[in-house]
Amino acid sequence: MTGSVSNSASIADGVLIGVDTGGTFTDVALLDPASGALWVSKTSSTPDDPSRGFAQGIADGLAVGGVEGASVGRVLHGTTVATNLILERKGPSVAILVTEGFKHILEIGRHDIPRKSNLFTWVKPVRPVPPQHIWEIPGRLSHEGDILEPLDEAVVRKAAREIAAEGISTVAIVLLHSYANPEHERRAAEIVRAEHPQALVSVSSDILPVFREYERCVTTLLNAYVMPAVSTYVERLEQRTKEAGIGAPLLLMKSSGGVTSTQSARRKPVETALSGPAAGAVGAAFVGAASGFRDILTNDIGGTSADIALILGSTPRLTTVSAIGGWRVGLPMVDIMTIGAGGGSIARVSRAGGLVVGPESAGAQPGPVCYGRGGTEPTTTDAHVALGHLPPYLLGGRFELDVEASRRAIETRIAQPLGLSIEAAARGMLDVLDNNMVGAMRVVSVERGIDPGELVLVPFGGAGPLHGASLARLMGCKTTLVPPAPGVLSALGLLVSNLRAEFARTCMQRAGHYDMAQLGAVFDELTHEAIAWLDNENVPPASRLLTKQASLRYKEQGFELDVLWSGQVDDAALAALLESFHATHQRIYGFSLPAMPIEIVTLRVDAVGMLPQVTLPEVPERGPASSAIIGKQRVAFAAGPSDVPIYDRNKLGCGACFDGPAIVTQLDATTLILPGQVAEVDKFGSIVVREKS
Amino acid sequence: MNDIPSKAAAAEVAADAITIELIRGAMKSIQNEMEALIERTAMSAFIREKKDFYAGLFDERGRFLVGKSRPGSSDLIGPILEQYPAESMRAGDLYWYNDCYTARGAVSHSPDQVLVAPVFHQGELVAFSQAWAHFSDIGGMHAGSISPNCTEYYQEGLIIPPVRLATEGRVNEDLLRVFLRNSRFPDAVRGDMRALMAAVNLGDRRMQDLLARFGVPKMRAVFDALIERVRRVVRERFRDLVPNGTYRFVDTVDSDGHGSGPIKLRWKLDVTPDRIVLDARESDDQVRGPVNYLMSMTEPAMTFGSFLLADMKEHTLNAGAESLFDELHVREGSILQPRFPAPLGQRSITKMRNLGAYLGLLGVATGGKMPAAHTGYVIWNVRGRNSRGQPFLMSDGVAVGYGGRATADGHDAIYLVAQENYPAEFVEAAYPLRVRRYSINADTGGAGRWRGGCGVVREMEILCDEAMVSVRIEGDANPPWGVSGGRCAGSGRCVVNPGRPDERLLPPLSDGNILKRGDVVRIETGGGGGWGHPFDREPERVLADVLGGFVSRESAERDYGVVLSANGRAIDIEATAERRKDRPTTKLFHRHEYFETLE
Repeated sequence: MTGSVSNSASIADGVLIGVDTGGTFTDVALLDPASGALWVSKTSSTPDDPSRGFAQGIADGLAVGGVEGASVGRVLHGTTVATNLILERKGPSVAILVTEGFKHILEIGRHDIPRKSNLFTWVKPVRPVPPQHIWEIPGRLSHEGDILEPLDEAVVRKAAREIAAEGISTVAIVLLHSYANPEHERRAAEIVRAEHPQALVSVSSDILPVFREYERCVTTLLNAYVMPAVSTYVERLEQRTKEAGIGAPLLLMKSSGGVTSTQSARRKPVETALSGPAAGAVGAAFVGAASGFRDILTNDIGGTSADIALILGSTPRLTTVSAIGGWRVGLPMVDIMTIGAGGGSIARVSRAGGLVVGPESAGAQPGPVCYGRGGTEPTTTDAHVALGHLPPYLLGGRFELDVEASRRAIETRIAQPLGLSIEAAARGMLDVLDNNMVGAMRVVSVERGIDPGELVLVPFGGAGPLHGASLARLMGCKTTLVPPAPGVLSALGLLVSNLRAEFARTCMQRAGHYDMAQLGAVFDELTHEAIAWLDNENVPPASRLLTKQASLRYKEQGFELDVLWSGQVDDAALAALLESFHATHQRIYGFSLPAMPIEIVTLRVDAVGMLPQVTLPEVPERGPASSAIIGKQRVAFAAGPSDVPIYDRNKLGCGACFDGPAIVTQLDATTLILPGQVAEVDKFGSIVVREKS
Repeated sequence: MNDIPSKAAAAEVAADAITIELIRGAMKSIQNEMEALIERTAMSAFIREKKDFYAGLFDERGRFLVGKSRPGSSDLIGPILEQYPAESMRAGDLYWYNDCYTARGAVSHSPDQVLVAPVFHQGELVAFSQAWAHFSDIGGMHAGSISPNCTEYYQEGLIIPPVRLATEGRVNEDLLRVFLRNSRFPDAVRGDMRALMAAVNLGDRRMQDLLARFGVPKMRAVFDALIERVRRVVRERFRDLVPNGTYRFVDTVDSDGHGSGPIKLRWKLDVTPDRIVLDARESDDQVRGPVNYLMSMTEPAMTFGSFLLADMKEHTLNAGAESLFDELHVREGSILQPRFPAPLGQRSITKMRNLGAYLGLLGVATGGKMPAAHTGYVIWNVRGRNSRGQPFLMSDGVAVGYGGRATADGHDAIYLVAQENYPAEFVEAAYPLRVRRYSINADTGGAGRWRGGCGVVREMEILCDEAMVSVRIEGDANPPWGVSGGRCAGSGRCVVNPGRPDERLLPPLSDGNILKRGDVVRIETGGGGGWGHPFDREPERVLADVLGGFVSRESAERDYGVVLSANGRAIDIEATAERRKDRPTTKLFHRHEYFETLE
């Protein structure tokens, strides 16, 4: 095995450990950049205190690699602590200070019922903060940041005391137009901290200085909501790494696909909400790039859900319009669409005779029927087992599957009610699930103006490689890339991620009246903030990368597109920016309006601190693919049954080439290759699947 | 059972269960994609912030397959097919209308522009892709086109009968130029039109992909199966819910803003073992003001269908619901079937009341197994010139409260499905207005075991020299009723300069109100009726409502029988028990007082 360090910086070299905590498993990847050696392991997650699973994962990783804690260069972590807190609503009471007249900002929200909901049955979700915990503060700014009415400090002081008396020590401050002038919010925060020293305060102009008060309020309050728990969690993690003899820095993955210090994560913990899925997208981008593919559609299929993301030019696409647990969060996050479709998705026949798959899931407990742990409702995994896509064992033979139980469950609950054979019913279940996923995959590709025919599909997660071949056909993706360790790709993504932070501010510029001086000044401020952050993270000058973005729209539009601002803040760059906006609009929406004036809404500076980059270890040649065949399996394809060879992935070397149908087994996943497809193992051990020409 | 041919036939029929699911899912995705495109590219605030648009797909006969799931017409293609027979259509054609009368209520006020593209596969017409959106200004009497002052349809903007906007891909720019010339905001209209055209073209392309995958015969079979399935389920559910009998219900629109009113909507439902008949012929005559509702003949069945399928995610509302009623009788010249050219612009007051009347009919028929009535959503317009001297129009939709239900409270502060408000930070950046207050309008939700939703208070200050304001808000003569012991809702009003010496009320349906710089407009909207006896509501919920500003302490004690402690932060358990001993008797409906039915 060979490996290399392509770029060395002053950040400590040494072994890298990535720990990705999921709902069921904590995945660990360990890489020694000096030797190129890569180890992976899995341990059970410990939801009551995830830091225990983290510690166990680190211990396992060190043991597997035979590495001392002292030789670790950095520890990178993907966490679900913030997400779970939001989804399970287990956070503390939060108090919010808002502008006078807006006490019901959360209750009213955007005054809508979600588009796909029914007027008669929809129930408004309970808000994370009730109105009686929202204090109104007199004081008013204009949308340009002018002070129209001074902040009423006495009212702030009184509110702070009342909040303390209520026993609430988490406070969010969200005043109108604070994106244009943070002065009132900052002063209010000072007063709250002075009157209520225990309070953890989140200020909207720090968290998301972007217009639209409801979205900014939700983002800020969620930040406050997860702050105490993330803070405690981070302390425990630091303790655990110390106990493992590791002195290296601990970095946390953010929703935007970059890592940050624990110090930054404590200040803006809501940024870690999509930590794990973002790491998966980074990992997919990395393995794709190694194999020469830069434009990728990812599908991470686990037990209960599928996370789908688009990667262009090896960079996961970011969005500022997404939601966590139904709550809108305006921060830049990797554009991941999650749907309730996975290996544990349950199939049912509805009263009217329709076949429905998911979103209900059998989860890890009781799991699919074939696990023999008490599950009775047939799942996606049972369909795979019934059709022969999965060998009758998992984890290299350590875990036997009850094939007959799967078939019986499908027969009684799906096949008989629909008057189908077991195989047709099982195939129907998978078709319906694939169809649901294709819908979501189209949203992140076609709706973003990208032709899936030009994308490479990277399926991963425990169940991804079973669906990759059929999804690629449905989507029209010409190539599918199955990464070397699909079950732990998120942990690998952690190892290869860079430090990253985004600094955005609304700076509205009316069409045709661009104020170059103001644009320059705001970009300067954002750049200063970015540099201060890079300084703080100890990123050496040579490893810094700053890029400017602007969000633009045609005059009168209400939805902005992010466009890269190249070069200086001058007329030439502005002209290029506007040109690029027209082109992007044309690409995504199918039309542009060259005569229509363009408005600039929000400016953003993205700061990246390049960490020493690693390369994937290469796999040697291991002879013809046929030498990796370890058995045969009867598979019921739509066109008829067929005996399909089973390949052992560990025995497949670089250059091994084989035709579908084929099944490839490995510890953490099973790959299905369909008749008419051809697979080739590349030098990094990824399996590249294409249609036979 | 061992007979091979029949087994194969059974397998084929059943295999369709899966194909049906695949095609239904794919068509819903297409609808979503079309709507996402409109939302992101449309230019008038009405479409992009308020999101007043929908996309849909139809089969070659114009039967509705997927689309809008909230109350409305399903017959959007018929008006085009009458003007342009299917044989005359070509791939790449685009059709357009907004003419409510020619389209028989397919859209029920003129700002809604309907665009339709026929979908061809290998030269054969198989489907239609359609989208509509509410355009902010298409000419007419005042900016915003639909003014409460209108007394003729001609005053409500340019009338577009079904026309061919594009022929085999070539857009008729002349036609568009005429349209743009008639708008006060041609830039926004041009952008909105491009967005709609892009959306229906997208739907066309996606349907073609689907046809390439499944083929025409299978797609047609699935269209039939989907429609048949909904037809069956809707009828079964209706029969489960409604026993045989004759039921009547009457609801009332306060006024047309031009001296007529109250206006009665009188409905009769006859259910016999073999027929279901709905009759609105006894409703009052059409009126001079623009609250006439040109009801599509498919709307009642689609609305009932939406209600009956509400908790069945595995079904998508489609044309199958149309056949719920064996007969539907309306009377030409009535408020629900006005004669051309009666004005229609403010029809949503009547439409929302009419929806309440359907619920009332169901209530009489089922003894209260349906939601209570709600306030019709509120619209007001502000027009003037901004500090740069440019004309502006703000059309602001304001939320209301919806009725309590047998299992849950009514929605607080909701406009309608999928329609959003303007953020205060947007309003202040875009218009010379300042939002001074935006809060829950306490005590407007009718008291009940399940409380009706509350309306809101939205208060804005005028920052330009002069502005002309129109308003449409339900008055207080006939607030939304409560049911099953629940009480009626509180109603709305529009006040100028509240608390100042020059305080005055604006008529609830009026235009041409001139306001000056510094004037403050406060819109207070009504709520939904309550469901069930208010004394059955858990005291903890009542306390939470008081603390959250939804219910006043006085109402808690008076209407709910819940007495709070001196500091108002806890329940006085003994006093509450004492107060609740004196439990008022109730009847099925409540509007100011209890009734067995409303007349």
